[in-house]
Amino acid sequence: MKDIFLLAYRDIKERKARTSLTLMGIAVGIAAVIALMSVGYGFEQSVTGELVEMADLIFVMPGKANFGNYMELGSFNERDLKDVERIGGVKEAAAMISGMEEVEYRGEKTVMRVIGIDTRDISAIFGEVVKTGDGRDLRDNDHKACLIGHSIANDYFDEEIGVNDRINIGGSKFRVVGVLEKQGGFRSDVDSSIYITERDAKSILGNDEIAQITVRVRDIGEAELIAEEIEERIDENHKLDDFTSAMTMGSAITQLKTIFTLLQAVLVAIASISLIVASIGIMNTMLMSVMERTHEIGIMKAIGAKNRNVLSLFLLESGMVSVAGGVCGCVLGIIGANVISIGIGAAFGEAIPAILRPEVLLGGIVVAVIVGVMSGLYPARKASKMSPVEAVRYE
Amino acid sequence: MIRTEHLSKVYRMGEIEVPALRDVSLEIEEGEFLAIVGPSGSGKSTLLNMLGCLDKPTSGAVFIGGVNTALLSENELAEIRREKIGFIFQQFNLIHSLTALENVALPMFFAGVKSDARIKRAAELLAKVGLRERMHHKPSELSGGQQQRVAIARALSNNPAVIIGDEPTGNVDSETGDAIMGILEGLNRNEGRTIIVVTHDTEIAAHAPRVIRMKDGRLLEE
Repeated sequence: MKDIFLLAYRDIKERKARTSLTLMGIAVGIAAVIALMSVGYGFEQSVTGELVEMADLIFVMPGKANFGNYMELGSFNERDLKDVERIGGVKEAAAMISGMEEVEYRGEKTVMRVIGIDTRDISAIFGEVVKTGDGRDLRDNDHKACLIGHSIANDYFDEEIGVNDRINIGGSKFRVVGVLEKQGGFRSDVDSSIYITERDAKSILGNDEIAQITVRVRDIGEAELIAEEIEERIDENHKLDDFTSAMTMGSAITQLKTIFTLLQAVLVAIASISLIVASIGIMNTMLMSVMERTHEIGIMKAIGAKNRNVLSLFLLESGMVSVAGGVCGCVLGIIGANVISIGIGAAFGEAIPAILRPEVLLGGIVVAVIVGVMSGLYPARKASKMSPVEAVRYE
Repeated sequence: MIRTEHLSKVYRMGEIEVPALRDVSLEIEEGEFLAIVGPSGSGKSTLLNMLGCLDKPTSGAVFIGGVNTALLSENELAEIRREKIGFIFQQFNLIHSLTALENVALPMFFAGVKSDARIKRAAELLAKVGLRERMHHKPSELSGGQQQRVAIARALSNNPAVIIGDEPTGNVDSETGDAIMGILEGLNRNEGRTIIVVTHDTEIAAHAPRVIRMKDGRLLEE
C-alpha cells in the first residue's frame, strides 16, 4: 500500500507545475466555500445573538406584523393589558402609549416617537438588554422627566443632549434624567425614542390608547404557547380575527435562521461553481496524464499489472492532489474568512466575526476528496481499460 | 509448454481487414530456445504478442501449460503475464521516472511481494546482468545495452518460466546484441527457461537451436 503511494507521489512530482495549478484550482474552490460559510455563520450569529438575549420577550402589537411589513389595525386598551397579565406564565406585561410629537431642543425642532411607560414595567420593556448609560431610570413620581435614546442624545440635534438638559416635548418642558446605551441592530428603535411616564404621556399625547404591550415570560420554552394565548384573548376582546400579533423572539430567530440558511445556500452555490471548475481541471489534468502515460500504462500491463492496479494508481494520484488541494483550501479559507471579516469591520464599522466550524473545515476536505476521486474516476478507468499491446506501441 | 492451434489474427483498418496471422499451429517445449525470423510485416510480432497474452487472437487458441488462454479473464491474463512470462522489448520500455532498481522491482510490486524482499531480489538480478554499480540510475542515464539488461532483469523478477523477446537486439550495436543474446542463452542453458525471440537478423537467430520462419502471417518451415 505504501509503495503505491510512493509511485503516485513520484508521478505527481514529475509534473510539478501542472499538478500545483490543478491543486490551486481545488484550493480556491474549497477556500471560497469555507470563507463564505464562515462569514455567513458570523453574520448570522451577530444578528441572532442579539435576539437570543431578548428571548424571554414577547412583543404584542395590533395588526399583522412580519419582518419588512407592518399593518397597523388599531390599538389595545386597559382590559387587554389586564387579560394579558392574567395569562399563566406571564411574568410581567408592560403597556406603551406612544405617538409622534414635536420635540424642540435649543431652537431646533423635529418630530420624534414619544413613548409613555409605567415605570414599574421598565424591566419588561427593556429586558436585560437596554441599560441606562448616563443618569438614572425613570421613576414613578417623576413629573415632566424623560429618558432618551442614544441617537436622540447624540445625532438628532446639532448640540448633544446630556443628563439634566431640558427639552420641549409637545409644548411642555421636560428634564432629561437619563440617556440609554446605544442599541443598534434589532432594537435601534430604542435609540430614537423618548420615554416618559404614563401619566405625562396621557396628557401630552391626549389619548390612552396602547400601541404595544411588551410581555416577559417566566419560561422561554412556553413563549410560543403564551404568544398564541395572548393573540386569542385580545382578538376575543375586540371580536376580530388576526387583530393581534404577538411576536416572540424565538419565532423571529427561526425566521431569521431560515433567511440565513437560504443566504448560506446561495453563497455556497456560488462558491461551488469554482469547485465544479476545479473538478473539470482535475479531470483534464488526469486525462492528459493518462494520455501522456499511455505507453507507460502499456508497459505496466505487459509486465503483469492488473486493471485494478492501474485504476488505483491513477485514482490515488487524483485523490492525493485533491487532498492537498483541500488542505490548502482550508488554510486559504481561514485566511479569507478573516480578511473578509476584517474588511467588513473596516468598511461598515460593524464587526462580523468569522466563525470557523470544524465540521465546515472537515467537510471542505471531504468534498475535495470526493471531487478528486469523482473526476479522477473517468480518466483512471480509461487508463485501466487500455489494451496492453496498443498502449505499449503508443509513442 | 506453449501451444497454438490454428491461430489467426485480423486487424481492421476502417473498412479493410488486414490478416496478420493465418492459421498458425505451433508447439514450443519447456526449456526450448526458439527464434522466429521473417521480414517486417510477416506477423512475427503479432504471434509473439499472442504467445505472451498481450493480445487476443481473432480465431484459434493459445494454450499455456495446458490452459486455453482464450477462456481467461483480463485479470487472469494479467496474472499469467506477471508470473509465467517475462517480456523484453526492442525499445527496452523501462519507466523513465523510476531507477533501474525500481524498474526491476515493479513486476514484484504488482505481484504483492513485500518491499524489502523486492529490493533485495531486484538488486541480485541487476548484479546478475552486470549492473550492480548502476542500480540507482534512471534509464536516461544508461546506455542502450545497459537499459536492455535492466529490462532482462525486470523480465526475470517474478521468476517466469518463459522469456519473450521482441527484437531484443534491434536497438543496440551488434557487439552489445551478442552480449544480450549471451545472457539469454545462459538463462536457457543454466536455468532451463524457455526463450522465444523474434528477430529479422539471421545472425542473431543463429544463437537459437530452433528457428522458425514466417512470411505473410504463415509459418514457412522449421
